[in-house]
Amino acid sequence: MIPLFLGASIAHKEGSEDDLISTNLVALSLFQIVGEGRMLSLSNIEVVYSDVILVLKGVTLEVPDGKIVALLGANGAGKTTTLKAISCLLKTELGKITEGSIVFDGQRIDQKNPEEIVKYGIVQVMEGRPSFENLTVEENLIVGASSRKNTTGIKRDLEMVYNYFPVLRGMRQRVSGYLSGGERQMLVMSRGLMARPKLMLLDEPSLGLSPILVEDIFKIIKRLNKKEGTFFLLVEQNAMMALSISDHAYVIENGRIVMDGPAAELIENEDIKEFYLGLSKIGKRKSYRDVKHYKRRKRWVG
Amino acid sequence: MTDFLQFSVIGLLTGGLYSLIGVTIVIVFKASKVVSIAHGQLLAFGALFFWIFMVGLGYPLWLSFLLTLILASLMGFFIERFTMRPLIGQPLFSSFLMTFALFIFLDGAFQLYLAGQTRAYPHFLPQGQWDFGGVIVPKGQVVNFLISFFLFLILALSFKHTRVGLKMRATAEDHRLAQSAGVSVRNIFTYVWIISAILASISGIAMATVTDIHYPLPYFGIKGLIVALFGGMESIGGALLAGLILGLLENISAGYLDPILGGGIKDVAAYVMLLLILLIKPYGLFGLARIERL
Repeated sequence: MIPLFLGASIAHKEGSEDDLISTNLVALSLFQIVGEGRMLSLSNIEVVYSDVILVLKGVTLEVPDGKIVALLGANGAGKTTTLKAISCLLKTELGKITEGSIVFDGQRIDQKNPEEIVKYGIVQVMEGRPSFENLTVEENLIVGASSRKNTTGIKRDLEMVYNYFPVLRGMRQRVSGYLSGGERQMLVMSRGLMARPKLMLLDEPSLGLSPILVEDIFKIIKRLNKKEGTFFLLVEQNAMMALSISDHAYVIENGRIVMDGPAAELIENEDIKEFYLGLSKIGKRKSYRDVKHYKRRKRWVG
Repeated sequence: MTDFLQFSVIGLLTGGLYSLIGVTIVIVFKASKVVSIAHGQLLAFGALFFWIFMVGLGYPLWLSFLLTLILASLMGFFIERFTMRPLIGQPLFSSFLMTFALFIFLDGAFQLYLAGQTRAYPHFLPQGQWDFGGVIVPKGQVVNFLISFFLFLILALSFKHTRVGLKMRATAEDHRLAQSAGVSVRNIFTYVWIISAILASISGIAMATVTDIHYPLPYFGIKGLIVALFGGMESIGGALLAGLILGLLENISAGYLDPILGGGIKDVAAYVMLLLILLIKPYGLFGLARIERL
C-alpha cells in the first residue's frame, strides 16, 4: 500500500491526470515485484522415483508471502512428494526432479542439498513427527538451529518457542523418544521454528492426534503466521481443519493439481464437500455414479 | 596373588590403549554407519610419521607430534573425501569393502616402507618403573594410559556439550532427519574421519613406545575392532569398558597359559573373545538402545 500511496501523492503535486495513472501503474508493478520476491512458486514440477515411477506429473503451485496454503489430496496423490521436492529431501530416497523449476525468494532452489534449503529459510516438518529420540527435548531444539552461523539468538529463540509451546518448557531435559504423540508434534514443529524459517512445510500435523490437540496445533499455526510472519504450506487429510485456517488451497490427485482456489470458496464447493469433507446432501444416497461423474469432471479440469 | 596383580595391572594399562583404538572405529561407525577395518593402518602410519619426523629428520618432540597430527588429519580428510564420499547413497557394504581396500593398500605401503625391519622407537616417555611389593608398574605405560584416558574424557565431553558434538549425535541417529534440520551430514562425516584419524595416530604413537615399529603394528586395529564390537559399536563408554576388559583378559590368560602352552595365547584370547561376543551378545555391551514405545 505504501508505494501506491506515495506514487499517488507525487503525481498529485504534478497535477496531471495521465501522470497520476501511469505513476500508479509503475508503483503497482514495483510493489508486485517486491511482493513476488519472497514467494515460493513451483512450475510444472515432474518427479520420478528410481528413474521409472512418475509420481508428480507437472505440479504448479504458489505460496504467496505471508499466507497459509493447504494442499489436499487422497493417499498416494503426491502431497508428501511435493513437499520433499521443495525441501530437496527427495534426493535421499532416489527421487529426482526431472522437469520444471522451483523458485523461492527469486532464486532457483531445485537441485540443492537439503541443508542448503534450510539456509534459504524453508523447513520441512516431516510426516510421522520424527525426533532425535536419544537426544533431550532441548538438544533437539538446538539441533534445529544448526543451519545458523551465529549462535547468539539461540537462547532467545528457545524462549520464543517455549512461549508458543508451553508444554515443552517443563520437559526440556526429557529424552524425546518418550514423549507422547502430541508433545512430539509440538517438539518437531518447534525444532523447525528454531531455524527461523520464512516458510514451513507441514506434513500431516494432525495425524493421530485428538481433536482438541489438533485444534490447539492449528491455532498455534495461525498465530505463528500472524505474529512471526512465517508462511505455511500445509498438507492435510483433515481437510475441514486445513481449509478453515488457510487462505488458499490446492487439490492434488494422481500427481496433478486438479483444483485450486481461495479456501473459503473450496469449502463451499460441492465436489470438495463430497469427497474430502465427507458431507453430502442429506437424504441423498451416495452412489458410485457420483464418483464416476466426479472422475469425469476431474479429467476435464486436470 | 602377586602374579595375578601383575598381569592385571599390565592388562589394564594396555587395555586403555585398546579402548582408544576401539573408540576411533566407534565414532566413525556412529556417525556414518561404516565399519572401518582400515583404522589399524591409520594407527601404524601415525606411529611411522612420528618416527620419521623425530628420528629420521631429528625434529624436536613437540614439532614431530604436531606434524604427525597434521598429517594424520590430512589422511582422514582425504580418505573421507576421495574414498567414502563417492559411496554415500550406495549400500553400506560397498563402503565396508572400500575400507578393506584401504586396509590392503595402506598395509602394503607400510610393509614396503619397513622392508621387514624393526624401527626402534625413541624413548621420550619416562623410563623406569614403580615396584609395589613385587608388582611392577612401568612408568611409560602409565603415561600412555593417562593420555588415552584424558583423550577419552575430552571426546566424551565434547560429544555431550559442544554444538558440533550435538550435530554428530543427531547425525548418528538419523541422516535424513539431521539433513532436514539443517545439519550438513557430509561435513560431519569429514570431521569424524579427521578426529578418528588423529586419535588413531596418537594411539599408534603410544602403542609404538611399547612395541616399537614392526610389521604387526597395524593389527592392533583388529583389536580395536573387537573392542568396538564388544562395546556395542555405538557406545563410547562401552568402548572404554570393553578395551579394559580385553586388556585384562589377554594378559591374565597369557600370563597363566603361556608357560603351559608355549606362548601365543595373547592373540588367541582376543579372537576367542570376539567369537564369544558375536555368539552370545551380537549387539555388544552397550549397543544403542532404540527407544520404542510399545
